[in-house]
Amino acid sequence: MSLELILELERVRKHFGGLSVADDLTFAVRRGSRTALIGPNGAGKTTVFNLVSGVFPLDGGSIRMNGVDITRVSSRDRIRHGIARTFQNVRLMPHLSTLENVIVGQHSRSGGWRGVLHPVNLVPRNRWREEARAALADAGVADYAHAAVGSLPYGVQKRIEVVRALMAKPALLLLDEPAAGLNPAETETLQIYLEKLAVESGLTLLIVEHDMHFVGALCRDVVVLSFGKKIAEGSPDAVRQNRRVQEVYLGGPAAKPVAPAMPEKAENRRAANGA
Amino acid sequence: MFAQQVVNAVMLGSVYAMVAVALTLSIGVLNFLNFSIPGLFMLGGMTVWALAHAGVPLPIAMVGALALAAAASLVVERFTWRRMRTSSPFVPLVSSMAFLLLFEHLAIAYWGSDMRVMPELLATGNWRFAGLVIGVPQLVGLVCSAGLIATLSLLLKHTRFGRALRTIAEDSETALMLGVDINRVAAAVFVVAGLFAAFAGILFALNYRQVHPFMGEAVGLKAIAAMIVGGMGNIWGSIVGGLVIGLAEVFAIRYFGADFVDIAVFGLLLFILFVRPTGLFRGMQIARAGI
Amino acid sequence: MSGYFEGILVLLAINTVFAYGAYLPLAAGQLNIGLAGFAAIGAYTSAYLSNQFAVHPLIAILLGAILSGLVGLAVAVPVLRTRGIYLALATFALGQIIRAAILNLELIGGAAGYPVTDSIRLPAVLGFAVGVVVLVSLLFGTRFGIAVRAVQDDERVADLMGVEVRGFQIAAFGLGAAIAGIGGGLYAHQYGYIEAQYFNVGLSITIVLYVILGGTQTTMGPLIGATIFTLLPELLRQSASWRYVVFAAAVILLMALRPQGLLTRGQLERLFAWHHPRSPERAADRLTGHIA
Repeated sequence: MSLELILELERVRKHFGGLSVADDLTFAVRRGSRTALIGPNGAGKTTVFNLVSGVFPLDGGSIRMNGVDITRVSSRDRIRHGIARTFQNVRLMPHLSTLENVIVGQHSRSGGWRGVLHPVNLVPRNRWREEARAALADAGVADYAHAAVGSLPYGVQKRIEVVRALMAKPALLLLDEPAAGLNPAETETLQIYLEKLAVESGLTLLIVEHDMHFVGALCRDVVVLSFGKKIAEGSPDAVRQNRRVQEVYLGGPAAKPVAPAMPEKAENRRAANGA
Repeated sequence: MFAQQVVNAVMLGSVYAMVAVALTLSIGVLNFLNFSIPGLFMLGGMTVWALAHAGVPLPIAMVGALALAAAASLVVERFTWRRMRTSSPFVPLVSSMAFLLLFEHLAIAYWGSDMRVMPELLATGNWRFAGLVIGVPQLVGLVCSAGLIATLSLLLKHTRFGRALRTIAEDSETALMLGVDINRVAAAVFVVAGLFAAFAGILFALNYRQVHPFMGEAVGLKAIAAMIVGGMGNIWGSIVGGLVIGLAEVFAIRYFGADFVDIAVFGLLLFILFVRPTGLFRGMQIARAGI
Repeated sequence: MSGYFEGILVLLAINTVFAYGAYLPLAAGQLNIGLAGFAAIGAYTSAYLSNQFAVHPLIAILLGAILSGLVGLAVAVPVLRTRGIYLALATFALGQIIRAAILNLELIGGAAGYPVTDSIRLPAVLGFAVGVVVLVSLLFGTRFGIAVRAVQDDERVADLMGVEVRGFQIAAFGLGAAIAGIGGGLYAHQYGYIEAQYFNVGLSITIVLYVILGGTQTTMGPLIGATIFTLLPELLRQSASWRYVVFAAAVILLMALRPQGLLTRGQLERLFAWHHPRSPERAADRLTGHIA
């Protein structure tokens, strides 16, 4: 099946108490594209990831992946629909080694109950370990295969997290602020790696990012959110010149939410921010 | 007959209520399930027996038992809750379980594992009222528990200490920013909880006259059911929970036999955990003004 | 072998089996403080089968374990819907109910206890213990082990990776219950007499504590914990109660100073370094250099 649009959000609504984090949100991601999702803080970007990956149920609207309506699919099964993701604050399993973390990513492909009994950690050379090692090597982090992830440099952890997500052989990879906390050299390395990945495997990338330089270098499509609504989309240049977008970032009439703002309860904001 | 059973249930219930209050205070304010509390219940009961047995006058024996419990609580606090912020929340719970074991086996080491009988110390007389028999010790116990719990509620509502407790219960980070000395308050909570638990143990010793090193497990742990039924963090809920468990126990004995008690009480606990784990009332009420 | 040493070995074997019964759910992040209840099911079933139907003790023990495992699975489904403290309390309530139910069954002795006629010898007991250790270690070398430990570390992310979180927790719980059942059966046929009062919450807590003492990060942790718990008091020649006092104090100190337990992954790897230690300089190159 090769529909042009791999992911479609249609009139998606989500609120926490009186706080609306996705407000009649509609946008789509083209297959094979590298699309950036940008917007000021609180615009709802990570929320979109949480909705697409199934962490939060929708309050309204629908999400289609590869033409299939996944609105009611459980969070656990979304990976089988081809959606994998990384996290804003790297969430690797602290007590597992790098290799083991990556092997967790293979779980959805490992084949039911018989697959569960595969002796991945007993037999030194087996296809799952080899596959994991190869992917780590591709990302330039093969040396860390047996390290305890907690002690590794932040940039390395971020790349391991990407490799883990890739192990599911997803069609769509959601990257939540992949460049955050990286120095310029690390950022460039990451950008080259992601580009190579996308080109070689036809993987679609949807990236939440604040680093506009990174976005400009990597992505050809940009979607801009503000207060849970889409306010612009197009190429990085087009979006940069969009007046509403400028106002939203620099302050102006478009920087205010449309609906009358309800007093924002701390717990609602916390709920919206935490997965 | 029925009314008499209810009276007995209220008596037993007040013991459970006091221990449940101790548990609920720890959970509500410190977010910490303190498994050592049943152990402090036992220490209260056994210490008062040991002292009374040695000829110490009752009031002093009681003070002695309470003092020991308070000291033991502070030790528990040092080694459990103090460490909480540095590692997983599992750790203090596990430590508190180790303390329960510690107290139990210290008691066995000192006093042996046999059941002991309290000498008769309170005036025995029965108060007859509308065909009901209420022992003087029972009445004294009931009045004391009610009084203590009421005092605690007032304290929580009207004093600075109470406000500090409620602030921490609501949001410990904000409390820190507001300058609340969490360590001092936590120590106070532990001591209060320990005193309540030990006092319940003393009441139990005076009323039922039997104490043994495993009474924490046999009696004190049932108060956990009372706490859950009433809602964790809810003091009035603990009172209702205590009564409910007391009733369940007394009626189970009456209609099914003594061996059925545990099934009834823990069956009820399990049921509540499945169906409505937050308890009959809204949980975590310590934070709100209307305790 | 003298009777004294034989007695210690038997105790060590049984404690080890109990330890793995507690380890299984702990490895998936669940605390089972009703473990003694499942041990009781194994003990009483095994005793009953061998007493009444002359089933060979070794088979009776296995059957008892199967029953406790099934009961564990059956209750895991509703119980594991609760979380955290509620879960621990639910297992506690369960253990109390099982014990009380046994106390009420005159069929198996009720409060008076139940004598067990057939006994098993040291080799069989050791065999079961070694079998449990080997099987659990092998199991944790499979994807099961990785999935379970992933669940222990981060349920949310494991779920998003497609791991059936509840399925693994239920499986770990049931398996732990079955292993506890083996321990109970061994106890019954070794000591010839069982009573419900023995299988109390104090026993569950003790077992959980020595597993945590050993460390829950590796499959050797429970063995270490059981060994220390069994052997140390013998070395100190304490009476039964003081042994528990020392043990409890040790756990408290350990939790305060080194909550990850005695044996951690890092230590195990250092002991057995069978892979190349990572070289920091090459790693730094990779970070800023070319990617193949």
